[in-house]
Amino acid sequence: MTASHPSPFSAVTRRATLRAAGAGTALLGLGLAGCRSAVSSEGDPVPAGDAKPRRGGTLRIAIGNDFTPALLFAQSAQSLQQGLLFNTLTRYDDRLRPQPELAVSWTYPKDGRSITLKLREGVAFHDGRPFTADDVIFAVQNLQNPVRAAQLRATASAVTGFEKHGDHELTLRLTHPVANLFDLFEFMIITDRHTVADAVAGRKLNGTGPFRFVKWSPGTGLDLVRNDRYWRAGRPYLDAVELRVAGQADALVSSLRTGQSQLSFDVPGKSMALVKSTPSLKITDYSTGAGAYYVGVNTTVKPLDDKAVRQAIAWAVDRDRLLAQSLGGYGLASAAPWPRSSPAFTEARRTHYRHDPAKARELLRSAGHRSLKLPLLHSATPGDTSIAEAVQYDLAQVGIDVTLEPTDPATAQKKLISQSMPALWTLSHGFAQVHPSTLAVSAYPFNEAKNTSRFRSGTYTRIVKEAWTTPDDGPAGRARYARITEILLDEAFIIDLVVRGQVQVASERLRGVSLNKFSQARLDDAYLV
Amino acid sequence: MRSHLLRRLPSAALVLLLASFLVFAVLRLVPGDPATTLAGPDASEATVAAIRDRLGLDEPLPVQYAAWIGALVTGDLGPSYVIGGEVADLIGDGLGATVELTLGALLFALLLGGVLGILGATARRGWTRAAVRAVTAGALAVPPFVTGVLLVLLFSVTLGVLPPGGRVPLLTAPDLGVQYLLLPALCLALPSAAVLGRYLQEGLRQALAEDYVLTATAAGIAPRRLLWRHALPNALPPVVTLVGIQTGHLLGGAVLVEAIFAWPGLGQLAEQALNRRDYPVVQDLLLLLVAVFVVVQLLTDLAYAWLDPRIRWE
Repeated sequence: MTASHPSPFSAVTRRATLRAAGAGTALLGLGLAGCRSAVSSEGDPVPAGDAKPRRGGTLRIAIGNDFTPALLFAQSAQSLQQGLLFNTLTRYDDRLRPQPELAVSWTYPKDGRSITLKLREGVAFHDGRPFTADDVIFAVQNLQNPVRAAQLRATASAVTGFEKHGDHELTLRLTHPVANLFDLFEFMIITDRHTVADAVAGRKLNGTGPFRFVKWSPGTGLDLVRNDRYWRAGRPYLDAVELRVAGQADALVSSLRTGQSQLSFDVPGKSMALVKSTPSLKITDYSTGAGAYYVGVNTTVKPLDDKAVRQAIAWAVDRDRLLAQSLGGYGLASAAPWPRSSPAFTEARRTHYRHDPAKARELLRSAGHRSLKLPLLHSATPGDTSIAEAVQYDLAQVGIDVTLEPTDPATAQKKLISQSMPALWTLSHGFAQVHPSTLAVSAYPFNEAKNTSRFRSGTYTRIVKEAWTTPDDGPAGRARYARITEILLDEAFIIDLVVRGQVQVASERLRGVSLNKFSQARLDDAYLV
Repeated sequence: MRSHLLRRLPSAALVLLLASFLVFAVLRLVPGDPATTLAGPDASEATVAAIRDRLGLDEPLPVQYAAWIGALVTGDLGPSYVIGGEVADLIGDGLGATVELTLGALLFALLLGGVLGILGATARRGWTRAAVRAVTAGALAVPPFVTGVLLVLLFSVTLGVLPPGGRVPLLTAPDLGVQYLLLPALCLALPSAAVLGRYLQEGLRQALAEDYVLTATAAGIAPRRLLWRHALPNALPPVVTLVGIQTGHLLGGAVLVEAIFAWPGLGQLAEQALNRRDYPVVQDLLLLLVAVFVVVQLLTDLAYAWLDPRIRWE
């Protein structure tokens, strides 16, 4: 190490430095000025009110997770593109009534052992091949294959016979009546049977939807263009849709704020304050109830084998605070899994467990416990960590000392499926947004035969099976849903916290976006003004 | 030079072999596998078992290891289990993006480091030297995730002159590509620029204090010529070694910077593949990174030997 000394050199003078800096800046400025700009221009002022739909334009959607071709037939964190490239047979309205899509009408005999579908004529796949009844048969059989990991496989497997009546009429024969058949029709995308291997590899996605597949660049996203032979005349309005991956919340929000993208459904609750402060962005809460956060309880770990202790935990959690702090207020604090649109929803069940630490302490005392020490596993993502910390705080107030076990999502999933969770865990579940029986049949945490909590009950099994195999949404059906909910609330092996809102953040220039019950975006009527 | 290279090749091969064992074993020791990721949180054990069977995860571990190494040797890396597409394509695309980012950052680091080093060693005024010290300390102290957010806030949100994230390949559209590259490359380059600047500054100070410099100054050789032709070449060898090390750091640092700027490089791919337990992608990727480090070290050794003849004859 030499001592610092005053330099005898004037090789780098102030004048030379300034000249070099000036020349560099000018060169960069001139270079960039001569280029096309990579920053989108906002253009004309946004028209007030409902502007007339306009053809053209490219919509850029910021997505938190890249498209995963292997999960094309499953409900995953990124199912947006399903509704852009493909159609389904029917589509639920806001009150869970099926509406025609590729099936224009249906006949459902009283015995519930078959359904006859009349299919839409004049529909073609993107490669020009006509859509026929064979494509529906393939779609059902495809979901019966376990490697497709379709959550509604149990319902698809109930279909055991297919009778074609020409190219556009078909009868599906069922081994037993199935209450959630239209959930299957809402969920099941109709894909080209000849290119399904290419589809699950991400090479070619051939559907009947409003947009055609151009390319998928892993890590970057999907490029889609308008399907000029779409069966809805004059639709879609948009020329192209680009889905762009921005895995980090800051990058995703910056992309929206700068106008680089115009739509996202993946803005985390904690970033919503920043979005709200951006006047050019609009927030829409769809309240589809496509997911819910819960605390799972391993009923074989002492003292959680005691129902009173589990109920004490349910009373101890402050769901409203958790909703406000961890999810930006978007969602529904609820002790039951159902969103407001579910036939199983009632306000009394939603508020069955309110925040009541005194009652929680009393229950613990009655079970012989003044204090407890329990581990709680959670996924080490920022959102899930925030929820786990909120639960930890609430349980500490009633004398339950919780040790958090942050775990990567893949490990958490493995433990969930292999029934090796610790005493407590917090994750999210799906499938409460559709027919109530689907939750108990297709969501593993609630499964009557085998679930992570290791909860078994003859009554629960019987009532779940009855609800699944009896297509009846009348008083008797509702009584069965009520019974399922009562068991869930009373046994508290899954303690629901918040039904998640499906929050859309969009540019004020975008109109006409909608979502189906499985969070598949519908852009048939979307346009940019 | 050739014998110098040959002496180092066996140890490089051994490092790669040990790394392959380690990567394969560690990945299997971590709980979770591609089948559970694909099956999803609502799946049953039967679904997981069917997927495990399809992916060949039921085979004994030595068989799986041999299949992997065999595929590597033949150059057919096969399909990804979870992410989708061919592993070779995924890594090729990601590598292109990361190399582009790393080279951009390296260019920034060399330019900024050079300016800081030369200014710090030759500036006559105290405030210039103090300014150089402050910039260097700031670039070293502020982590890239803070620098990245600040750069996006200034250039994208406030000024609206550069995109906040994403990538257009430079070879596809150079005019757009360079705009996407500027912010992430600068963010990644700053700490390396500071390190290179400090080393260069110190090297130059030592070189400028040598007797031959005083003699040359007395002989009337122009200070600029003395700096560029005599002092700088003598100060460069340790800096060149450091450039090799910094290139490795830039590759490693790219993981974080890619996440901040949604840059679809190897870092993003590695994170995605690791979170989803996409064994083929993680294994090939980690082995590739080890190989890159090994090659960079070999090249650095060669450059050092080329610059300093004494090393060649050791």
